[in-house]
Amino acid sequence: MSDVVGRSRVADLSLRAEGEWAIEWARGRSPVLDGFVRERLGDGSLAGKRVAVVVHLEAKTAFLATVLAEAGAEVVVAGSNPASTRDEVAAALVGRGIEVHSSRRSTMEVWESDLAAVAATSPEYIIDDGAELTVRMARDHPAAYAQVKGVSEETTTGVARLRSLAEAGRLPMPAIAANDAACKHMFDNRYGTGQSTIQAVLQLTNLRLPGKRLAIIGYGWVGRGIATYAHAMGARVIAVETDPIRALEAHTDGHDVADISTALSDADFVITATGGVRAVGSRHLGALKPSVVLANAGHHDQEIDVAALVAAAEVVAEPRPGVTRFLLGDKPVFVLSEGALVNIAGGLGHPVEIMDLTFSVQALGLHTLVTYDLPPGVHEFPPDLDRAIAAAKLATRGITLDALEESQTDTLSGLLDADTVRSWSQP
Amino acid sequence: MSATGRGAIDFARQFMPALAAAAETVKTSGSLRGRRVGIALTLEPKTACLVEAVASTGADVFVAGSSHSTKPEVAAALADAGIAVFAEAGASPQRVEQLRDAFMDQRIEYLSDDGAGMVRRIHSDRRDVLPDLRGVAEETTSGVRPLRVMAGEGALEVPCVAVNDARTKLLFDNIYGTGQSVVMATLDATNAQMAGAAVVVAGYGKVGRGIAAMARALGGRVTVTEVDPIEALAALHDGHRVAPVAEAVADAGFVFTASGIGHTLTVEHLALMPDGAVIAVGGAGPPEFDPGPSPAWGEQVRPDVRALTTSAGSTVFVVADGFCANTSAGEGNPIEVMDLSLALQLRALDYLASTALEPGVHLLPDSIDREVAASQLAAAGIIIDTPTADQVRAARQW
Repeated sequence: MSDVVGRSRVADLSLRAEGEWAIEWARGRSPVLDGFVRERLGDGSLAGKRVAVVVHLEAKTAFLATVLAEAGAEVVVAGSNPASTRDEVAAALVGRGIEVHSSRRSTMEVWESDLAAVAATSPEYIIDDGAELTVRMARDHPAAYAQVKGVSEETTTGVARLRSLAEAGRLPMPAIAANDAACKHMFDNRYGTGQSTIQAVLQLTNLRLPGKRLAIIGYGWVGRGIATYAHAMGARVIAVETDPIRALEAHTDGHDVADISTALSDADFVITATGGVRAVGSRHLGALKPSVVLANAGHHDQEIDVAALVAAAEVVAEPRPGVTRFLLGDKPVFVLSEGALVNIAGGLGHPVEIMDLTFSVQALGLHTLVTYDLPPGVHEFPPDLDRAIAAAKLATRGITLDALEESQTDTLSGLLDADTVRSWSQP
Repeated sequence: MSATGRGAIDFARQFMPALAAAAETVKTSGSLRGRRVGIALTLEPKTACLVEAVASTGADVFVAGSSHSTKPEVAAALADAGIAVFAEAGASPQRVEQLRDAFMDQRIEYLSDDGAGMVRRIHSDRRDVLPDLRGVAEETTSGVRPLRVMAGEGALEVPCVAVNDARTKLLFDNIYGTGQSVVMATLDATNAQMAGAAVVVAGYGKVGRGIAAMARALGGRVTVTEVDPIEALAALHDGHRVAPVAEAVADAGFVFTASGIGHTLTVEHLALMPDGAVIAVGGAGPPEFDPGPSPAWGEQVRPDVRALTTSAGSTVFVVADGFCANTSAGEGNPIEVMDLSLALQLRALDYLASTALEPGVHLLPDSIDREVAASQLAAAGIIIDTPTADQVRAARQW
């Protein structure tokens, strides 16, 4: 214990009790991770394995780290973003005997040194978010990187980065695209980010959504979720896309679709969800409506080019916690959570029930990496495990499923058999 | 602390164009100049904007507020601006009494009340200040109801304007404002997911409609409970399941009360709820949720959530100890919605001060209601049609 305290870097260990409440609350609403997944991890395969967990460090993540540690892994934890760590949760994890390197709203330099400290523990496996640790180890810690046996990646952005690493010949270990599991992106990216982003935007501003114009920049899974909920709550959504298929989908979903200048000139709320950078940059500032609220729901802190706003603004102030006011000429523009992921930096992150699914995928992704000898490269999450997680979640809600009967299947052999075909047309 | 409150007040004001327009109208009328106006609403940034708007019309303003919903930084900012504030967050029951008496000692002439709390107290315990009171503007459904009961019994001695009953209030504040803010405050307090959850909404008035709509928008499966067959039929037509409370709560993930009536959700209902159910009040606060005389409160599991053991042994979680979730575990209704309600409040005070009204409950004139709605549309750059001469003629034919 004192060892762990000595090795860790957290803001304030005295916050531990509050963090414990938060982690226990997360456990209480994570029945899949706490039941089905725990059982699978109970085979002892994680015993003594050094596992780095570099995900937004809040209560749900801490419960994942706890489950892995209780399955025998030697877990070390850091946050995947300098703005999103919950100090009370970090303190509680250290109290639980888990090494942590993270504090809330740390500088980029401190955050980089935290990730370097995690790399220095020479993890065998990485549960990553945005591939933040993996990319840094590939670049700065080649010796330790060569020893990594597997990576399980949480986000769309991170999976893209891992694929780029593989193409560059710099991914010498297997990586599982946890993000691409159905139980992850269909729920976490869409419903989880959707609900929690809208919650955070409204909570930070105390503004009304019904009747407002909301521009969503990027219509991937995250953009879809935000647009769906915003529309359902009474906002008029306008979507901006560069991909014609996604734009057509947004149009068919009943949203307006427009180029970014048109969208910005009409929007009361602008939410970025591209997964790229500078989706709203210096060339767009003129189009913004007075008193517009800008928030980011994508992985990057730079989707909204806050530096460009700082450069262009005459006055910068913080009228409410988490709300920055930029005065561009006489036009006020509000940015939430300094452009960081608004649902995590400005709220409590995804709903617990969603992260139960996501972290079940991550934990079983890790288990797959440990128990199977996968070749280097990016692998899909095993589909049978994906379905097993969904079934376990449904079971916790008391929902049962039908099984398909033989007679209900449409098979080619049936089509080729004249007797079978005749039998369909008989009463 | 005052600076934090000032930042929040000034932020809110930017999104309150209807209140600004109302202040201009009342300044021109001059009816409140030199008058003693009391504001007894939940004390937070938006109502602080009303306080300052009233002050800008030349009135002397006195501010009250409850111990559990007063935002201390807002109270401090108002005090720093020279406003007389009789509200302290977290005050003891004794101190609450003292503050309320000191507020009433100011011999208020025109009062903005919430839940008719202050006006009822003046009629019962502080009849000494009743002769000074010349008019009351009441904000809520749960306040208008007792005022009408008082009027029916001949016990109401001052003219009261039912601001709550204005269309620009009832159709927006109660539906969209409370709907959004109660659901959001509950999700913020619990970090729980709405999609897929079984949601019970007890009461399908305006507030219940708003909560049910927002819960469904976020993927909740809503069951409405009602005592009124017409409201129940409306809930059914809106696509919600309708069932008795005792049946509805049996598989509930969330239970919202929105009846405005005491004892809507009782200790007997609690015993029927599954483990982990979340209870939040959107209506009138205690005793709308009535956990009985000796509830088995457990730990404060999150800042705004307390565990409660039911008589059946299950554990449920109560947001804000059964006080209104949106004001106690959140910042109350959204700013733009309160822009309308508070503009109406200001116009109602002006109406009371410039019109001779009999004691009783009065509606705000429709022309004022329309003006307030029009002022917010105008600020949003939205233009509407005016009836043509042909349409006006057609509407008058029989």
